[in-house]
Amino acid sequence: MKKSVSIIAAAVLMSGLALAKEVKVGVVLPLTGPIAAFGQTSNDGLQIAYEQNNKLKNGDTVKLIVLDDRGDKVEAATAVKRLLDKDGVTVILGEVASGNSMAMAPVAERAKTPMITHASTNPRVTKGKKYVTRACFIDPFQGAVMAKYALDNGMKTAVVVTDAKQDYSVGLAKAFKKAYTKGGGKILKTVLINSGDKDFNAQVSTIKAANPSIIAFTGYYPEAALLVKQARAMGVNVPFIGADGVGFPELVKIGGKAAEGFMYTDHFNEAAASSPEAKAYVEAYHKKYNKTADSMGALAADAYGMILSAMNKCIDEGKASDDKECINQNLRNTKGYKGITGVINIDKNGNAVKSAVINEVKDGKFEYKTTVNP
Amino acid sequence: MDFSTFLQQIVNGASLGSMYALIAIGYTMVYGVLRLINFAHGDIMMVGAFMTYLATSMGMPFGIAVLFGILVSVAVGILTDKVAYKPLRDAPKISLLITAIGISFLLENLFNVLFGGVPRAFDAPEYLTKVLHLGEIYLPVTVIIIPIVTVFILTSVLWVLYRTKYGMAIRALAFDIPTVKLMGANADSIITIVFILGSALAAVGGIFYAISYPSIDPLMGVIVGLKAFAAAVLGGIGSVTGAVIGGFILGFTEIFVVALFPELGGYKDAFAFFFLILVLLFRPTGIMGEDLERSRF
Repeated sequence: MKKSVSIIAAAVLMSGLALAKEVKVGVVLPLTGPIAAFGQTSNDGLQIAYEQNNKLKNGDTVKLIVLDDRGDKVEAATAVKRLLDKDGVTVILGEVASGNSMAMAPVAERAKTPMITHASTNPRVTKGKKYVTRACFIDPFQGAVMAKYALDNGMKTAVVVTDAKQDYSVGLAKAFKKAYTKGGGKILKTVLINSGDKDFNAQVSTIKAANPSIIAFTGYYPEAALLVKQARAMGVNVPFIGADGVGFPELVKIGGKAAEGFMYTDHFNEAAASSPEAKAYVEAYHKKYNKTADSMGALAADAYGMILSAMNKCIDEGKASDDKECINQNLRNTKGYKGITGVINIDKNGNAVKSAVINEVKDGKFEYKTTVNP
Repeated sequence: MDFSTFLQQIVNGASLGSMYALIAIGYTMVYGVLRLINFAHGDIMMVGAFMTYLATSMGMPFGIAVLFGILVSVAVGILTDKVAYKPLRDAPKISLLITAIGISFLLENLFNVLFGGVPRAFDAPEYLTKVLHLGEIYLPVTVIIIPIVTVFILTSVLWVLYRTKYGMAIRALAFDIPTVKLMGANADSIITIVFILGSALAAVGGIFYAISYPSIDPLMGVIVGLKAFAAAVLGGIGSVTGAVIGGFILGFTEIFVVALFPELGGYKDAFAFFFLILVLLFRPTGIMGEDLERSRF
């Protein structure tokens, strides 16, 4: 009798082991190319979250497949296709740049595969999509925060710098302008740049002639660093305000002294980390990388955490851990998820509603100024 | 636009134009001899900038670092010629072109693996990054130095081509490689000299580019390489003076599109290339170019 029980137990155990699946999460990030810092720091954070937790409730393991898209829209869409067709992933995580996420979203949507972007803030990324969710706030909020901060500090005339190649920048500039003029500010001029450009002297001369009280920079860090450097070299001492695309160590490394005083909105600053989740993450991050934990990594870790939580809920509901429909439902219905970057609630459009922080470059470091709630 | 802004924009145009000119000379030189559009030129530029960066970050003085950058670039140039181009000397030109594109991808990805894709800050000494104030005009010293370097290189290249035995050989090669070989000249070693010159020019261009825009990454040569190529075509590919003229035209077009129509600034490349198409429609051989089959430098 005893023997047969143990045999049955062993059999159950064995079958349990045999049934433990591997659920694949496909990750698309710009690990090389002009915005490589976005992808690399995202990946750093993601790896921390993965090391902390890669098992589901029922014993299934999660496997990450990380692909590089070189920051290119076409490559990003191709990477999603490959992840779906070749690797058979259950969930897609990525991208950082809104333009790239917008190239990926239709592919995921068609395959009815849940996709979560950790850092793309352009509203159009999730607009009209059933299977796309994000772990970050959107640009209308971020643009309004930028505008309000500038106005509250008495900067009433602005020149807006837009990166014509980036959907992120175009959307953010629009949001900023709307909030800024509504709040009583005046937009003197909009100057356009292209990501990948290095010479901004023509734009700087135009800005100088317009003589604004603030320069609203809506692009990414490589251009921000060179633009602020060229502006300061040409005697333009107007303060800059940017958004989550500029807060990278490269801004300071390349911009040098010129980057001092650069203000920007962001998702996370480790100096303001107060929740136990955030503290644990920051500690693990410092231990592994010996550098400051940034917002991209924290967001990627949160997006990964949301995926795991959605999968676990599916298991609770008695469904398979790789049930795409179920995971998507749970992702879209995320409420009160305690993330590293704050409490995440997903609204009906798939966008996260959460707070933003404002940082400023001081002595080559990103100093925390304040937190703005939605 | 007030007058001082206008003057400032002229300075900006000269600054960008001289940068393109410097790089375009290298393109045109190699093309003039081998009829090869060396698409790896922009990447050799990148090698020059990266190696200089590497040397300075290891604590070498800037002058030595520059020399190191140039030497490594020259070595890479010679190596690519020996490994990739030499076996194809008698192959159709299109094979060479495709090989050049291959080399370009190889170098980009190799440096991506070695250095990562995150842009790095290029440190140049104070005297090269200074900005002079002339009344309301801000004049980066590179605006003065780059044209001087360009003129110096231009005259040296012309001197080598027209006053030395090697130059004569290079010019002869540009006309007819088989005949030169029949005359008993060692065509291969002369082609190597062309690659040495071309790579050194690319490296100098890359280093100055990095001084002017101190953010370097493995793909930094792609866009500027294309622009310099456009400049060379605009000026008449194969013509060294044409490359300089083309570079300046391209630089001024870009700056003034942004200066005059800031709202269209995002399309400045489109304007520059539209201008290129327009010139080529009326002068298919470029501004200084003569009949493609006859023009040599």
